[in-house]
Amino acid sequence: MFDIRRAEDGTVKLVGRFDAAQVEARRADFDAITSSCVLDLAELDYVSSAGLGVLFATLKRLTESGGALKLINLKPHIRELFQIAGFDRIFAIE
Amino acid sequence: MATERMFPKAIASLEEVFNHLDAFYAAEAIETGAAMSLSLVVEELFTNLVKYNTASRNPILVKLGRENGKVRIELVDHDVDRFDPATLPDVDVNAPMSERTPGGLGLHLVRAIVDHISFEYENRVMRIVVVKNLERGDV
Repeated sequence: MFDIRRAEDGTVKLVGRFDAAQVEARRADFDAITSSCVLDLAELDYVSSAGLGVLFATLKRLTESGGALKLINLKPHIRELFQIAGFDRIFAIE
Repeated sequence: MATERMFPKAIASLEEVFNHLDAFYAAEAIETGAAMSLSLVVEELFTNLVKYNTASRNPILVKLGRENGKVRIELVDHDVDRFDPATLPDVDVNAPMSERTPGGLGLHLVRAIVDHISFEYENRVMRIVVVKNLERGDV
């Protein structure tokens, strides 16, 4: 199960497992992020390279249009994946 | 415990693959962190076979086993052309954002997670074997 929820303060929460089977079904949700955004990953249990690719594409698109993407509340094993991918040097992570 | 099961060669099989893995983790009392890492390894290898071994649509065999603190995972793809994942370009994780593309991370992540990986190809059968030592405390 994977879900994307927008909180009242504009923060976007990613919930569950973001795997390759979810990428196509959810791509439009990420395309709908058109301005600077905070992604809350507190409830993201799992992400594979397919999900990381969508996050990277979103970051790149926002950056190129003058926006920003910040990630918060990463679980330790998710944070470690970002480090292995070299994404800890590309994403703004709190 | 060792277990094996065939899955249709499609990304849509992932949910069933994960269910199969979760049953194995429960039977072997594998803790959550290691389970997430193993699931990621299987997803990356399985999706690579779906994407690149397109010569046949035969199901993919996934074999799981645990022995002496190590998990051994084998994926077997029948009647396919030779495909050597080692020929895929390795991603440069130190490159700046402007030079990176969204793809190409899967095998890099797998290599970082497992302790052993091998690819064999014989008689049109591709066999990928990975081993992860559960006593390693990292991802």
